[in-house]
Amino acid sequence: MEIFVLAFFALGYFLLASADIGVGMLLPYLGKTATERRTVIAAIAPFFLGNEVWLVALAGVLAGLFPELEGELLGGNYLALVALLVSWIVRDMGLWLRGRVPAAWWQAGCDGAIVAGSWGLALAWGVIFTRILPVPVAAALVVAVLFAMHGLAFAGLRLTGRLRERAVRLTGGSGERPTYALTATALTGIVVLAGADLDLAASAADGATLALLVPVMLVLMPLLVLAQAWVWWTFRHRVTGPSYL
Amino acid sequence: METVDLARLQFALTAGAHFLFVALTLGLATLVAVLQTVATLTGSPLHQRMVRFWGQLYIINYAMGIVTGLVMEFQFGMSWSGLTHFAGNVFGAALAIETLVAFFVESTFLGLWIFGWNRLNKWAHLALIWIVTLTAYASAFWILIANGFLQDPVGHQVVDGVLRLTDFGALTANPASLVAFGHVLSGAMVVAGFFMAGVSAYHLRRRTIEQDFFRKSLRIGAGLALPATLVTATFGGMGFQTLQPGKAAAWSGGADDLARVQADMVARFGPGDYLPPVGLVQAAGITMMLLFAVMLFFSAAGFLLMLFRPAVRGLRIWHWLLTAMIPVPFVTMLAGWVFREVGRQPWAVYGLLTTADAMSPLSATEVRVSLIAFSAVFGVLILVNYWLLARTARRGPDAVALGAERPIETPVPALTF
Repeated sequence: MEIFVLAFFALGYFLLASADIGVGMLLPYLGKTATERRTVIAAIAPFFLGNEVWLVALAGVLAGLFPELEGELLGGNYLALVALLVSWIVRDMGLWLRGRVPAAWWQAGCDGAIVAGSWGLALAWGVIFTRILPVPVAAALVVAVLFAMHGLAFAGLRLTGRLRERAVRLTGGSGERPTYALTATALTGIVVLAGADLDLAASAADGATLALLVPVMLVLMPLLVLAQAWVWWTFRHRVTGPSYL
Repeated sequence: METVDLARLQFALTAGAHFLFVALTLGLATLVAVLQTVATLTGSPLHQRMVRFWGQLYIINYAMGIVTGLVMEFQFGMSWSGLTHFAGNVFGAALAIETLVAFFVESTFLGLWIFGWNRLNKWAHLALIWIVTLTAYASAFWILIANGFLQDPVGHQVVDGVLRLTDFGALTANPASLVAFGHVLSGAMVVAGFFMAGVSAYHLRRRTIEQDFFRKSLRIGAGLALPATLVTATFGGMGFQTLQPGKAAAWSGGADDLARVQADMVARFGPGDYLPPVGLVQAAGITMMLLFAVMLFFSAAGFLLMLFRPAVRGLRIWHWLLTAMIPVPFVTMLAGWVFREVGRQPWAVYGLLTTADAMSPLSATEVRVSLIAFSAVFGVLILVNYWLLARTARRGPDAVALGAERPIETPVPALTF
């Protein structure tokens, strides 16, 4: 059961957050002017905070249910994680602070932070996956491209008009829904393969800890999904203009 | 410096930076939630503007708290895998509950609160800020359960060289955690009280047009600062009853006390140096106490002054001092943390695992690289946060974007010369 909990949060993170990371990676392509870029950001604005907490939860689940693995995975990929965290901070600051100062130089700087941070995040994940899976480091690029494709599909689902066309054009004209399903399946495959390569069963926490935490988590999970579903429902419509960010 | 000292410095900088942001977040969230309750119940436009202005400052600061918190959460596994290996069954449980019960819900609903403005039913919107505030408290609670366990480990048993959780009730009822939770939470209210009073005083001193708005805000801030200071001190006093022997000896500084603790530890754990750095523990403790005295005197005087309308309106020396006092609670908070955490050394889990043994097998180069990277990022974050908070605070309620009907657009650049 503890493996199911871990997989649930891992998949939640990679399916949801890679979409907003991908949009950040392709921000200069999707939005040619500052105003367009603000609309593109509005497409992910209500979601990115709720998406990234899945990773915080994943780290918490690792700490609680697989403490031994937590130390091995995080300590064993130290520099890749430093890059991941720095990229994450840079990107989040770009997103949060872009709209706070109405000056062109500030917004250009924040756009740069969003793009660089998003690429840094995707590549750092790529490197971490190549350290778990038996593939060469160059495969990190495949992961990054997959994040970008997932982001394009998401942008296609969230935007309208010219911005939507731009997103759809790069995905081969099969439409945003099939593309999203395809990239989501590929991401699921990578996560499941990586999980299968880790010795999960042997690195679980002590029985007493699992007996306490796993039932609590199983009860919480539907409630957390409901909370997130409220966000998805509230912001289900396509965006046409800027938001708070 | 040895690698373990570099890793400690890195964790201290992360926790310190995080704490600066979180203290204000916890306190301001409470004030914003109360203001929004009044605004929703009475429909008062003034209170609605207060929610948006103070909420904007809260959110700017909140974003900084999240990102520094991320680095802290990951650092447990990255730099301190000895701790997760040895104590993960107990310590990790508290962290896991914190992320799922508290932080996950807090972030999800905060996003909804920010972006759902003018979209959601006003009662649902009010419920959101209260959930965000209460889950922020829950977050602080579970983090301090984890921290209290490191200070005074309870509810466990050592089996085959690792800890097992035997009594979850004892873990959550640990006085070292509960007293600290009360102390930190009320300390956060002190931070927010001084912050709100100081920002308001700036506008009153500058005679900006928002007189009514900032007179009310100043009274809320000054009205909170005194009781919060007293409650914080009460919990702090209780905290002195839960000090470990090493910390208590370092604080008293008596040579006999120190020698007794050292001899006792050597008898239990073999040869080694088991005393925390006495000078640093004392300096941090004295700083905390002195600044507490300053805040108590100042907030008591302020509590009386705010009852007199002419003083609130025009006592400029007081206004100036209120603004100048904004950093003091932050410094006091940090001094308190140094006292608590440095005083626990050389233990990561008191009496069970030393800090040196808690560290991951990292090279000095790896830790140097990350220390430089994180220090640079945190330095920039603190400066940007300070600049943006000051800028947003100075510009006043009319320039606030949060909850605006239409987002404030970028003006077309105009020639200004």
